[in-house]
Amino acid sequence: MAQATTEQRTRLEQQPKPKKNIFVRFLKQWDIQLMVWPGILLIFVFAYLPMYGILTSFMDYNIFTGGNIWANPWVGFKHFQMFFDSPEFYNVMRNTIVISLLKFVIGFPAPIILALMLNEIRHMMFKRIVQTVTYLPHFMSWVIVAGLVMSMLSTENGSVNMLLKSVNMIDEPINFLSMKEYFWSILISANVWKEIGFGSIVYLAAISGVDPHLYEAADIDGASKFKQIYLITIPTIMPVVIIFMILSIGNLLNAGFEDILLLANNPVLRPVSDVIDTYVYRVGLSNFRYSYATAVGLFKAVISIGLLTMANYIARRSGNSLW
Amino acid sequence: MTKARKTTMLIVSAILVLATVLAGCSSDSKNKPSPSPSSNATNTPSNNPEEPASDVWEFGSEALEFSMYGHYSWYDVPAWDSTVAGRWLKENKKLNITPISAGGNPEQKLSTMIASKSLPDVMWMDRGADVERLREAGQLVAFDDYLDKYPNLKTWMGKDLNLLRSSDGKLYQFPNWYTGRANGNAGYVINKKIYDELGQPKLETTDDLYNYLVAVKAKYGDTVVPFDPDLAKDSQGLGVLYTAFKENASYTHLHANVRAVPQGDNLTSLFTDPTFREAQKYIAKLYREKLITQDAFTQTRDQIEERIMQGRVAVYAGANPTVVAMNAHQEMVKKDPESGYFMIWPIHKEGLDKNKIFPGTYTALGWNVNVITKAAKDPEKIFAFLDWYTGPEGQSLLFFGPEGKNWKGFDSEGHPIFTDDYNAEEVLELQKAHDPIMWNGNTGFIDPAKMKYESKLPAHEQNWAARYQSEITWPTQSNATEFINLVPQPDSELGIVKQRVDDIYTQAYAQSVMAKDDAEVESILDKAEKDAQAAGYGELLEWRTVEWKKNIEIIAGG
Repeated sequence: MAQATTEQRTRLEQQPKPKKNIFVRFLKQWDIQLMVWPGILLIFVFAYLPMYGILTSFMDYNIFTGGNIWANPWVGFKHFQMFFDSPEFYNVMRNTIVISLLKFVIGFPAPIILALMLNEIRHMMFKRIVQTVTYLPHFMSWVIVAGLVMSMLSTENGSVNMLLKSVNMIDEPINFLSMKEYFWSILISANVWKEIGFGSIVYLAAISGVDPHLYEAADIDGASKFKQIYLITIPTIMPVVIIFMILSIGNLLNAGFEDILLLANNPVLRPVSDVIDTYVYRVGLSNFRYSYATAVGLFKAVISIGLLTMANYIARRSGNSLW
Repeated sequence: MTKARKTTMLIVSAILVLATVLAGCSSDSKNKPSPSPSSNATNTPSNNPEEPASDVWEFGSEALEFSMYGHYSWYDVPAWDSTVAGRWLKENKKLNITPISAGGNPEQKLSTMIASKSLPDVMWMDRGADVERLREAGQLVAFDDYLDKYPNLKTWMGKDLNLLRSSDGKLYQFPNWYTGRANGNAGYVINKKIYDELGQPKLETTDDLYNYLVAVKAKYGDTVVPFDPDLAKDSQGLGVLYTAFKENASYTHLHANVRAVPQGDNLTSLFTDPTFREAQKYIAKLYREKLITQDAFTQTRDQIEERIMQGRVAVYAGANPTVVAMNAHQEMVKKDPESGYFMIWPIHKEGLDKNKIFPGTYTALGWNVNVITKAAKDPEKIFAFLDWYTGPEGQSLLFFGPEGKNWKGFDSEGHPIFTDDYNAEEVLELQKAHDPIMWNGNTGFIDPAKMKYESKLPAHEQNWAARYQSEITWPTQSNATEFINLVPQPDSELGIVKQRVDDIYTQAYAQSVMAKDDAEVESILDKAEKDAQAAGYGELLEWRTVEWKKNIEIIAGG
């Protein structure tokens, strides 16, 4: 934030016009300001005001004190220490990082590829149908998606096992949801399936903004379709891609919660499925250890901010940064 | 900017601002009612000077309304008008109950209600940590002053009430399904058609069971699941199998709130218990040979029910297989009278006394409890209702419908007198529909009352559940009252230990079931024991031993 205001100021200082009173400037654009303020207000009330709750991670919070958190004793870094010392720490961190990296590496480019593919379809009806079918799963809750995945992968009458059996690839059904080896792939596939269509909408919009003359010119120059995608479409939508990449890097440690909670039913999977959020839920909230849960959550948030800043720094060199 | 654009923008902005303001207001109004009950609560005693505290308030004499919340992810208090009993109580007893939903996320809902000081009047929840936490914070109403005025609970529960008392000696919990008699449904359900087709082999010992399952697998292949243990991650049918390997072994030993085996004067580690290891090896063998459904740990209730309904399970075991099996049985015999399900006497290991095998448990305290919070305006009136509800009139209403149709009046033993109009099917429907509002079931009253009707019928006409309950499951459930209250406060040192041990156990349990051979079962349990001891299992067991002995004392001393 501080950086943004200084940048604005320097920009203002560069302007040759004499500085006007800020109030006068505000009045002049009051109608536009009116559109911004509700949003700012909402963010302030729902994102900034509750932040004082972070303090409870340095206390032994008793929920019966309610909003009056000052009544709780300060304990310093006790809860952070407990998390770092807990036997689950290594496992939880590894899973969080691996799952979120996998989600990023596979889940981030997938909608872009789908958008590029959809863009090349000339049959409008088919394109519309594919678009609708792929983005609909986004509106299903994870409970439903997990139910679908579970019955598809079930060993008793699960469609995947039946298919593999009917083509003689296996003799005995594979117990997909009870084997550690498969969990990450199942999780990532389910995620990609659910979000790919919805994610591609924004890229399709960006692609539709590409100047058609460029393609015509490329055609005349004899560029193939792939060349056109590579040399025209991708560079043009790059700014959008970079912005979305920065945003998803900020979300990197959000390895997921509902999807993992619902799909990793079998306790055997815990060594590969336990991530920060499921750990916080199981150990923190279900056992009323609110301070501990807050401490772990804060730890995660700090790392996320670090990653976001780093990503933004790198992106700024390409000229497409968030701030 | 053109004028038209400016006007549009103005309208859009105005709408946005309005929406924000409206959103702000709506949440405001939602919060508003919350402080009113608590402020009323402090006023009530002075409000009713004409009603001295010693007076007994008769349920139904005045209108009564309160809010109720069920602290479970799978449960919500139903709309009061949606049940026969609810409608009847509203019309005849002027009672209205406002449901408060947990929205599938009870932990968060309860935390929010506590933090915002907007607790409901009555909460329906498990005994233990949550109740104790609320009591410590002074949020609950003690029942001691009401017990003699409204005597049903005291009459039916007797001295076992003392086990429900909190550490300050007062009673804050109104129990559900409390009983002095054995009850419960845990056991083995057998598919009749498959059993007949395989020549009705002997099914008594663990070896018989194994051979039977092998035969099922050989004959039916993939079309039938030989052994379905219900939701295996909650032990269920696998826990039932554990009890087959030792006389007087208790399903409760595996429960998260106990997770220990009594040996002499001490509670000792489950992981080193030879019976547990033997059972896990047997279960792992069944699982390995695909005699147990491979989905055991991942399947959902729906999948299980569907399979049972279609008759695609040969042996179904669980802590409560009755309802599912009964529904399936009724549907299946409609099409084919030779099909359906029946229950068998619990399986035992060769050489053990089959009369000392107990696949399930019951406690005198029953299942869960109702608590009245300080937010309630008239806790005494609510207690009066709960007491009426658990008494003969309330229980008969829930189980047999409003007085006059299926029953009228009570006989000399206090059981309802059934009329000639008694409609067994309607009664069954009523019981199913009323299940979500049976908050303080009185097992000691209702079980004999149900049996009174059933026992007059020939065996094949009897209600499926009632028949096997009286013949098999009730005599084979053991009393686990001594193992209650062994749960440390979750945010205490021991609570943290318990949580770690639970994590280690759930993982090791599933792993050992899926182990490749006996040696792997051993090594998994050895490692679990080592990890658990490192986490502090030993201290937890010591603490539990002390609490357990206290329970035994209370039970013995009365």
